Amino acid sequence: MQSDIIIETRNLTKVYRDFWGRQKVRALKALDLEIRRGEIFGLLGPNGSGKTTTMKLLLGLLFPTSGQALIFGRDATDVTKNERIGYLPEESYLYRFLNAEETLDFYGRLFNMSSSVRRERAAQLINMVGLGSAKRRQLREYSKGMTRRIGLAQALINDPELILLDEPTTGLDPIGTRAMKDLILDLRSQGKTVVMCSHLLADVQDVCDRIGILYQGELKELGRVDSLLKVRNVTEFRASGLDEAAQEEIKQVIERHNGELIFVGNPTSTLEELFLNIIAESEAHPGRRARGGGDADAS
Amino acid sequence: MPVETEIIPFLQWLPGAVLYWLLAVVILTVAASLLGLLVAAVEYGPWAAVGKTWRVVTAGVADVVRISPRRVWALTRLAVKESVRRRVVVVFAVFILVLAFAGLFLDPGNPNPARLYLSFVLTATSYLVLLLALFLSAFSLPTDIRTRTLHTVVTKPVRPSEVVLGRMLGFTIIGTGLLLIMALVSYGFVVQGLGHTHTLTAEDLRSVGQAEGSQPRFQIGKTSQDRRHRHQVMIEASGQGRTDVDQGHWHESSVTGSGTDVRYKVGPPKDMLVARVPVYGSLRFRDPEGIDRPEGINVGDEWSYRGFIQGGSPAALIWSFQDVDERTFPEGLPVEMTIGVFRTHKGVIERGILGSVSLRNPRTGLTVELEVFESKEFATKELTIPRKITKFVASPQVVPRKEETPEGVKFTPQQADLDLSLAERREFDLFEDLVDDGRLEVWVRCLEPGQYFGAAQADLYLRAADAPFVLNFVKGYFGIWLQMVLVIGFGVMFSTFLSGSVAMIATLGALVGGFFSQFMTELARGQVHGGGPLEAATRLVMQENLMSELESGVWTTIMQMADTVLKGGLWVISSILPAFGRFSYTEYVAYGFDISRELLLMRSVNAVAFLLPVFVAAYFFLKIREVAR
Repeated sequence: MQSDIIIETRNLTKVYRDFWGRQKVRALKALDLEIRRGEIFGLLGPNGSGKTTTMKLLLGLLFPTSGQALIFGRDATDVTKNERIGYLPEESYLYRFLNAEETLDFYGRLFNMSSSVRRERAAQLINMVGLGSAKRRQLREYSKGMTRRIGLAQALINDPELILLDEPTTGLDPIGTRAMKDLILDLRSQGKTVVMCSHLLADVQDVCDRIGILYQGELKELGRVDSLLKVRNVTEFRASGLDEAAQEEIKQVIERHNGELIFVGNPTSTLEELFLNIIAESEAHPGRRARGGGDADAS
Repeated sequence: MPVETEIIPFLQWLPGAVLYWLLAVVILTVAASLLGLLVAAVEYGPWAAVGKTWRVVTAGVADVVRISPRRVWALTRLAVKESVRRRVVVVFAVFILVLAFAGLFLDPGNPNPARLYLSFVLTATSYLVLLLALFLSAFSLPTDIRTRTLHTVVTKPVRPSEVVLGRMLGFTIIGTGLLLIMALVSYGFVVQGLGHTHTLTAEDLRSVGQAEGSQPRFQIGKTSQDRRHRHQVMIEASGQGRTDVDQGHWHESSVTGSGTDVRYKVGPPKDMLVARVPVYGSLRFRDPEGIDRPEGINVGDEWSYRGFIQGGSPAALIWSFQDVDERTFPEGLPVEMTIGVFRTHKGVIERGILGSVSLRNPRTGLTVELEVFESKEFATKELTIPRKITKFVASPQVVPRKEETPEGVKFTPQQADLDLSLAERREFDLFEDLVDDGRLEVWVRCLEPGQYFGAAQADLYLRAADAPFVLNFVKGYFGIWLQMVLVIGFGVMFSTFLSGSVAMIATLGALVGGFFSQFMTELARGQVHGGGPLEAATRLVMQENLMSELESGVWTTIMQMADTVLKGGLWVISSILPAFGRFSYTEYVAYGFDISRELLLMRSVNAVAFLLPVFVAAYFFLKIREVAR
């Protein structure tokens, strides 16, 4: 029976030292963490908080000063664990003299995949990340967004059980960001485990089930996103089709129950939603000025 | 001369070499494990260190055993593509440029242009290919680590052994391809550069041996001057002839037609590009008293490679050959020799020193003096001893071998057994009268009093059938290939734990150290005059010569003790670095000697013996380092 715990760290500590062995910085302090199968876990924190160090320790790119990191119950430095892992680094550190097909073929070979499986999987992933028209261009000619997408494709080449994403939405436009977030949610629906680290809080909030907040190498908060963000002493109702009189009546009910009315008005959409609506409408009706959403619908 | 040390038969060499290698590997493994344990103990404490060291070693065995060919091939292809991207073809362009300039500047009037051309192309190729190997191997991994492209590789199920092997194979493939193209171009360059002919006209020839009203027996004369030389030519009555040997080659010549329709033709150069297969004998020296000695006279050279004999005396240089038979030498005995000369007085400086060549049957003692020759300093003399010997320069003799033993002088054969009647004959058969059970002695004597002849074992040999030159040329490039693979191995190893530029300097250091490893070994063993490093430095400063005794004292004692330690260090370094110079066959190809199979096998095994530990070391260095920072 497979264990439900995919990642486990025990007292994981990393101290960076200089050439002479003197301590430069304690990047991670005694991190204890468990990440379960099928969840999307977000590591949050400002720059230098230890997010990337944690990620590198989990991948075996760094060795812990003390403590232990276990992936699928194996030590993080054991290369066999990598057969079930996909990793998208912060920058897409890929060979820029290869094209998209060659890149995926190369990484497929590293997983000992047969030629037919590599071809099939590469075609599937190139379509998925929308690089079909640019698959024979060298990566040096790719824009940042395209590089992120091919980076994501290489991370998924082996159909991994665990996907580690370092700043997955950095460098992506709103459409790319939405696609990335949709993909992350899709991966969860396939039963995969996703660990991402980011400082873009909205992205984390949108997709993560649980988060851990790191600050100066220490874990400051850990829990489910919905419970961490819940404001327990505020009640929110949403309704449509209420006229002025009905709204007045509701205000009176609140006063009668000694409640304090904080806000009454029309909600605003997010800038992301407005942007995506405009793009969708422009694609549906080329040449016509797009009206977007939100206020336009109300008027 | 390329052969200065005796080449031991491969199977005789192998057991000792394997034993030495195993010993070195065991010592290095134990030393590396102890060092690793010590470092881990400082970092994690003694108990954890033992566990960690054990895990690294066992994981290492698994990582080497479970190498995936597909992953290695993927990384190999990547290294090839990366090399192409880094414009390795520029090296080829530089090579072509070098050849183009060389074509203008190589001296066509050189006494041996083939040697010049071959030395040049082989040296130029090896320098360029080794530099390329150095740069590619030293910078590749550090660049991947710096640009973090290695992060996406090592986070796949790739073992450090596969990363190392992929790099080594990839750079070897690209270097091999380039070397093959360079070899082809070089061969074309040499053939094109050396190819020439001469013209011959009726005015250049005169008839010799013509009786009244009959056809001349010979026509002799000189060819036209081309490539700064001309040949003496002799054409027989049949119309066929040949030139003399000049600049290491000769030409066939012929006359066709007669009267006004007569045509003279000189063919392409012959014997210019050869691969002689020498059969070496063992050398001993006969002193002026006629007693055999293992060593000759030292005429004052610090390099005691050659021994000398005194001229105008019974002293002789004696080569003893084995396995001389009709099957190997059906046309007679081709002998080639390069005899050194030491003059105690100038004499006629334009003329060489006179010497003679004799053959001796080692059983009967029958000695036949065949030819007097003029030895010009280190010029190769060729002569063919015919099967039927009817001409001598002195009366045949029966000469016993004289050796000093504790019991007195020993004669072989003994005086009583000498068959003096053998010397009365005037016709001898080479194989029946002078060769005894495959054994034959060749004697060389210096005929001029006050002058000396000097030789080493390889300076006289019997020239068996030549090997194909093209094959020898390929073998020469195989030597460069071995050097290249070793440089790649060391480059990749250093690049697993050093930055690119430092790895390059370290590899260059190994390369230069390797070229001097023979000297370092001799220095460490005290076989070099002038003492160890400190003593030699002191001699330099004090302007003392290498042979004089240093004044005894405290400083001398301290210095010599420190030198003992330094010599130990030098011995260790010279033992773990490959002697790169030994992998170079340039001199063999340039001097026209076949590179024997034994030598190729030895060097190939040598290279593998170095590459295996280098690979294992590279694996461990990559395994125990953090790829990210």
